[in-house]
Amino acid sequence: MLPFVHAPLLWGLALLGVPILIHLINRLRHRRVNWAAMEFLLASQKKSRNWILFKQLLLLLLRVMAVAAIVLMLAQPHNQWAALLSHAKTHHIVLVDDSYSMSDRTSDSSALDRAKEVVLRLADQAARADNPQVFTLLRFSEAGAGDRNAQPDMLQEPLTGGSRERITSIVASWKPTQLASGPYEALEAIERLPHQSGSEERVVYLISDFRANQWDDPAEIREALARLEQQGAHLELVDCVETAHANLGIADLRITSGIRAAGVPLWMTVTVTNFASAPARDVSVTLAEDGLARPAVVIEQIPAGKSVTRRFPVVFAAAGQHRVSAQLESDAIAADNVRYAVVEVADTSPVLVIDGDPKASDATFLSTALSPGGKVKSGVSPLIESPRFLRDHALDGYDAVFLLNFERLDVAEIEALEAYVRAGGGVGIFLGELNQADFLNKHLYRDGAGLFPLPLVGVTELLVDRTEEVPDVEVTDHPIFSVFAGERNSFIGSILVEHYFAAAKNWTPASDAETQVIARLRNGAPLAVEHRMGEGRVVAFLTKAGPGETPQGSWNNWGRNNPSFVVAMLELEAYLAASRHATVSSLVGAPLATTMPLAQYQPQVRFVLPADQGGGTLTVDAEAAGTDQTATLTDTHAAGIYEAQWTLRAGGEIVPRQFALNVDPREGNLQRLDSAGLAQRLPGIKYLYSQAQDVAYDGERLSGPNLGRFFMWLLIGVLLAEQILAYSASYHPVRRGAVH
Amino acid sequence: MPDSKRFLHPETIARISRLEVRARHIVEGFLSGIHRSPFFGQSIEFRQHREYAPGDDLRHIDWKVWAKQDRYYIKQFEEDTNLRSALLVDVSGSMQYGSGPLNKFDYAATLAVSIAYLLLRQQDAVGCLAFDEAVRNRVPLHTKRGHLNSIIQALAVSEPARKTDMLSILRGAVETYPRRGLMILVSDLFVERESLFAGLRLLRQMGHDVVVFHVLDDDELDFPFNGATRFEGLELPAHLNCNPRALREGYLDALSRFLHDVRHGCARQGVDYTLVRTSQPLDVALTAYLNHRLAVQSRN
Repeated sequence: MLPFVHAPLLWGLALLGVPILIHLINRLRHRRVNWAAMEFLLASQKKSRNWILFKQLLLLLLRVMAVAAIVLMLAQPHNQWAALLSHAKTHHIVLVDDSYSMSDRTSDSSALDRAKEVVLRLADQAARADNPQVFTLLRFSEAGAGDRNAQPDMLQEPLTGGSRERITSIVASWKPTQLASGPYEALEAIERLPHQSGSEERVVYLISDFRANQWDDPAEIREALARLEQQGAHLELVDCVETAHANLGIADLRITSGIRAAGVPLWMTVTVTNFASAPARDVSVTLAEDGLARPAVVIEQIPAGKSVTRRFPVVFAAAGQHRVSAQLESDAIAADNVRYAVVEVADTSPVLVIDGDPKASDATFLSTALSPGGKVKSGVSPLIESPRFLRDHALDGYDAVFLLNFERLDVAEIEALEAYVRAGGGVGIFLGELNQADFLNKHLYRDGAGLFPLPLVGVTELLVDRTEEVPDVEVTDHPIFSVFAGERNSFIGSILVEHYFAAAKNWTPASDAETQVIARLRNGAPLAVEHRMGEGRVVAFLTKAGPGETPQGSWNNWGRNNPSFVVAMLELEAYLAASRHATVSSLVGAPLATTMPLAQYQPQVRFVLPADQGGGTLTVDAEAAGTDQTATLTDTHAAGIYEAQWTLRAGGEIVPRQFALNVDPREGNLQRLDSAGLAQRLPGIKYLYSQAQDVAYDGERLSGPNLGRFFMWLLIGVLLAEQILAYSASYHPVRRGAVH
Repeated sequence: MPDSKRFLHPETIARISRLEVRARHIVEGFLSGIHRSPFFGQSIEFRQHREYAPGDDLRHIDWKVWAKQDRYYIKQFEEDTNLRSALLVDVSGSMQYGSGPLNKFDYAATLAVSIAYLLLRQQDAVGCLAFDEAVRNRVPLHTKRGHLNSIIQALAVSEPARKTDMLSILRGAVETYPRRGLMILVSDLFVERESLFAGLRLLRQMGHDVVVFHVLDDDELDFPFNGATRFEGLELPAHLNCNPRALREGYLDALSRFLHDVRHGCARQGVDYTLVRTSQPLDVALTAYLNHRLAVQSRN
């Protein structure tokens, strides 16, 4: 039996007898006429009796059909044979984008509000369908939570009378997250849902704002959609946003240079991106250190679609972790208007200076430059040692290691250094009269596998015409020399280099940017070369650190009465140390792990959550791994400063570790795709695209077309046929005198 | 519509109950309407001379005047009054049908009496014969004015029967009016066609001029019935329950064939045939009659 929208109206089929009844009554209710011309009447009747009978029956049949068509049109049957045979139920899988771009507001409602309305409308419309309806509700944030077990708000729940209230309460609890979750994880999650192939019709609704940045590389999404399509699912993309609004976002907040020691100025940068199509002017970035406001940074203009970075100094008086935040004025999206950073400074920055010369003249000279003593506080605490120190001591505690004028290092020393660099340490190398090119090439360069940046030939004298007023040293805009950038600097220009180690002939830095020449001599020979290795970096100067006399004479005069040497060495130290303190920007939603020695700390770690995460605390048990233990906080859905409080086993003192979690700045790009853009990115995928206000559960498409319209046309056809037949069988006095 | 014609409509005629008054009313109205002077024809009584005009019959030239004056004059006489006309009026059961103010019988009787009145007014001899299945009443030819009453009485027949054999009736007419004259048949002609044509042939063979007024009702010609209807025969003992809408086309076909046959049958016999509807004004029939008179006179 066909399913009907208004099945009780089928009682109207009893009216089928009415035309027959009228026909019978008409046959009884005839009038009498005394007629003269019976001859012609009888002749006519004899001639067309069968045809008349046929026409009468046909007319009667048409009238009965008209009544049936009226009843069926009103009852609205569905042609659901296929659905009845193969799909007993319809499974609505509703995937809702709750990333922070969904907080974009148009008039009074946000994109997420419109998504909620769509969900409720779909539920209402599905509840009116004839076949059983099942609902699954999954937000992008749940699907992309990191752990593989996404927790849908509803999982294959049948729609019943009480479902409306349940879904209403579920969507009422939804708020835009601070995540940048894309649709892929959600699509992937529903692929893992148990699927009773053939027994249910699947409709997958992707309710999102379709921001362009999430669809830049749509291959994964396209493949996931294609797989769903192959499984027989109907795809509907519902767009909750009509226009893209302007938005500014803080893309980055980090320390760029400076020695991380208490009382020493550090340089931080803040980067603001203008996602609008028009330039932004006079953008004010409010800054705060440890909750205290500090002078704002004003950016005069940010071109459309571009980012602008501004540098600002910070000084932390005390050692320890400090909070820095930058905030923009409110705009379309609030989540990306604030960014947090945690800066850890020590009392001093410990530096190890290894000098191969027992007299350590270069080391002394460099140490003096790094830490002049007296009232001037550089924050650097140098320790001069011989190469043997490398073999016997751990290097982890040093922000940087300088290697000066060494004849050779044994294997253990080289391994210790390389391990230190790979782990993020920074090594500065100054050569000298003790160094041997062969040793360096063979043990430290090792054809590019070692920590030394380049192969050398040997000590060379810089043979130039001193009468020409050309500086011996040309520096690049590398961070070490960036303070000298901008204009011709007389201090750099006054450096004279007499001797240096020449690079191997035909050596050029590899194109992979692992190695770069950051300073050259006037003859083009490399003077300073940077080499990245693992997480760390090595900067090698191919001349001596000190200006002292050697058998060849003085190598250079940089350190002698030239202030640029002190500045450059401090910058070098900060640069080398920076890789150990690289600002690791964790994204909201990523698990937060903190590790401490197992022996010293209790395994219970209390996490203090930021206000946006609801405030309060959460205690997590650390998991032991070797001599360490790691506590992991997985519930990190809000940006802000998280604090892990470890407790010392001895004494019970609490040791806090702070972490900054920030939103993914790319999600703040509100440029969106329209239907044409989606179609371009999803070729070959069959889907239905609609705006939020237009979306409706098209039960007809799934449960077979509503035949009400068919019966309406049938009724019109039957009535027309009936009229034509009745007209042909009736008398219509067009004019008098049909017969003359 | 001229005022005079207004009085010739069946609606008006039906209000006049007496046939004689009807006839006078009709004829006077008719004559005043056509504004014609008395008819000129062959007669004994000379009326006047008129100068010859091309097209005049040469037989009417007064040769004596030509001999005296050498000019052509036409002699004109009062019309001959020796026309003998017999009215053969159908009073059978089928003539009782009527949907308008006059049924077929009323119409036929009014027409017949009007013609009789017209003829008597001109001192022509008029007779009448009423028939259904057989000749029911006969009125011999007379020219007296009072003769009109006899004709009217002859038309009053009670219990009309079915007419069957037209030949025998027309044979009876020939026997009744043996001298050559004008036979005016007023009927719906619902009879066997062969017998009708045989009768008409007999009349013509006997030297009679024949005029047929075929009187039919609008309903019979248009068959405008709708809805379930039981038709009961006025003459035939048959009845038929039917939806007349379905039978109309076949009925009209059969009727057309009948009319065609009658019209052609009359034409073959040299019989003047006029189909009159009972809804038509009486002057249509009277005009047809007078046209026939003129044609007969021109033949003579």
